[in-house]
Amino acid sequence: MSRKTVKSSHRIGLLALAAGVFAFAHAAIAADPIKIGVTVAQSPPGSVIQGTQVLDALQVAQKIINDAGGVLGRPIELVVEDTQGLPEKARAAVEKLITRDKVVAITGEHQSSNVLAGMEVAHHYHIPYMNVNGWADAIRAKGYIEEFNPGNYSTRTAVAMADTMKRLGAKRVVALAENTDYGIGAAKSLGEQLKISAPEIKFSYETLDRTAKDFSPVILSLKANPPDAIVEMMLPPAAYLALNQLYEQGVAPTAKTWLYDGSGLADYPDFWQNVQEAAKDMIVFGLYHPKMTMPPLGRQVAAAYTAKTKNEPNRLLAQSADSLFLLAEAIKAAKSTDADAMIKALEAIKWEGTRGVVTFSTEAGYKYHQWIDIPYITFQITAVKQPIADTRLVQDPGQPLDVSKLEKPAK
Amino acid sequence: MLLIDLTVNGLIIGLFYALMAIGLSLIFGILRIVNFAHGEFYMIGAYAYTLIALFFGISPWLTLPCAFIAGMALGWATERLLMRPLYSGYASWGVMKDEYAVIITFALSLLLINLVDKVIGPNGYRGPSLVATTRVEIGPFMASGHRLMAAGIALLVLIAVGLFVRYSYWGRQIQAVAQNRLGASLAGIDTAKASAIVFALSGGLAALAGALLSPIINATPDVGAFPAVKSYVIVVLGGMGSIPGAAVASLILGVLESFGAVYISYGYRDTFGLVILILVLLFRPHGLFGERSREV
Repeated sequence: MSRKTVKSSHRIGLLALAAGVFAFAHAAIAADPIKIGVTVAQSPPGSVIQGTQVLDALQVAQKIINDAGGVLGRPIELVVEDTQGLPEKARAAVEKLITRDKVVAITGEHQSSNVLAGMEVAHHYHIPYMNVNGWADAIRAKGYIEEFNPGNYSTRTAVAMADTMKRLGAKRVVALAENTDYGIGAAKSLGEQLKISAPEIKFSYETLDRTAKDFSPVILSLKANPPDAIVEMMLPPAAYLALNQLYEQGVAPTAKTWLYDGSGLADYPDFWQNVQEAAKDMIVFGLYHPKMTMPPLGRQVAAAYTAKTKNEPNRLLAQSADSLFLLAEAIKAAKSTDADAMIKALEAIKWEGTRGVVTFSTEAGYKYHQWIDIPYITFQITAVKQPIADTRLVQDPGQPLDVSKLEKPAK
Repeated sequence: MLLIDLTVNGLIIGLFYALMAIGLSLIFGILRIVNFAHGEFYMIGAYAYTLIALFFGISPWLTLPCAFIAGMALGWATERLLMRPLYSGYASWGVMKDEYAVIITFALSLLLINLVDKVIGPNGYRGPSLVATTRVEIGPFMASGHRLMAAGIALLVLIAVGLFVRYSYWGRQIQAVAQNRLGASLAGIDTAKASAIVFALSGGLAALAGALLSPIINATPDVGAFPAVKSYVIVVLGGMGSIPGAAVASLILGVLESFGAVYISYGYRDTFGLVILILVLLFRPHGLFGERSREV
């Protein structure tokens, strides 16, 4: 073999190697995951139960998306940060996810105070932010173009509660609200809705510290002058204590006073461990019920969630899964992970998720970037330790409350 | 009617506060140690009572002593493993003594909270009631059967602790150590043993409070924060180391919070105790029942 031939074969070899490296690099880039940032409470004092439910649901949705080939040929990767339920940690978590992990969007947050903190950072960096479960209207009222809401909102709950109070024939209603953006916001919203739809109802609310353990003084005041209905607007563990103390003092539920849960406590996994007789006859505002009609995706997600966690599906499952599906749909529609393109795609979206067809309003105020027609139901717990599936559905989505189905305690 | 409800409720809460605080008062008064892990002794008692009763199906009446023993064991181990360096051959530490106690008990507190959070989980557990009657009606007054029973037990335990410290053999030795550790040692008293008894008793009492209150205040990893804060207020208010002082201060605080929450504002409920704490520190630093100097 001549010297020239050897040189030429080396050249061919180098070219082949370069082509191989290029092809490998190209394939690697094509398979690069799309990073989605997730902020959830994974340790106290935040609601770890909610955080776990949200994360499980997101992982279920992630698997469904990735098993179907991912988005634009790329798998979805979830980058998770623990917020401990603290706004300052939520803010830092979003900052870290955007600047260090280079995520293309944020989701997962399930507490209003944390959404309000985290969305500021997302707004600053102009990154899409999907709010899973922050109910406070103040979140939408900010009017941030990056922020979208496929979950419930305080005004929706307030409208539902005001309608229920009116149909129950209540003359005086008292809300027990926790001292957070969610609690105070929800109580104010209910007051405003009652002024509109039932001005004859006298309404007031008590703000309770969510870290407190004994609510007896407030409850004893209610005992001295019992209202027709008490609306609970607190989250666990304080909510459980308040329910038990209301029952032990004979304040609600009684023949005189209805007890209404406006926080969706009944589908928490530790609900019956912490509340027993106190929950019997309680009326519950809900976003999920096994007897609800659900689209095929909802049933698929519910089955996958039960298989993964061995738990019954819950309201956070649908909201969380939808938040990731929506981001995936936005990337597909935008054909890129560019923030502006994704935001434009989300604003124009009309997509059937786990609970129905999701669209986002662009009307200013609490409706901004909100799925306005999010379905809700009302049910009543009629026995201690009753599974949600066995509770009495007294209001189907889009239907009026059927008061004739409700039971009140004899005493 | 409301006045009666508020007074009775305040006294019941006061009894619970007393049971929480008495152990802290003993440790502070006798050993001059600030125990930041006191709330976690309470938390361990709440979990021991709840989990043993729930998972082994044992009667709550039998589980109650188990919680007390668990608290005593933790208190004893804390004293043996973490506190003993303070007074056994580490005299050269000098002024570092107080800092050591603060840091080591604070670290123990964080360790226990995080350990329970990871091992048992963050979900709350409601302890089983000692009596099946959920609601007891006595005239216009209404409360849960367990709450009344727990208040009764708390009262009996407080009396028993008072009698133990005042009249028993070991109680007198503990008093001697409180007055002068070196003097007690020279008089032949085993001061190390007395210290261990104080810590074990303190842990047991806090754990008993946690167990009794677990059907009312569910067991969670951070449940100890609330009793710890209340206990510090009570110990200072009643007079550091004074058992009758702690008991009276607890009842005062319970009733004051009950009335203040209704007639002033519920939002300021925890503030009342702290305001009194500041006033006591300003105008009567030795507390309501504390002695100006107890050393001989």
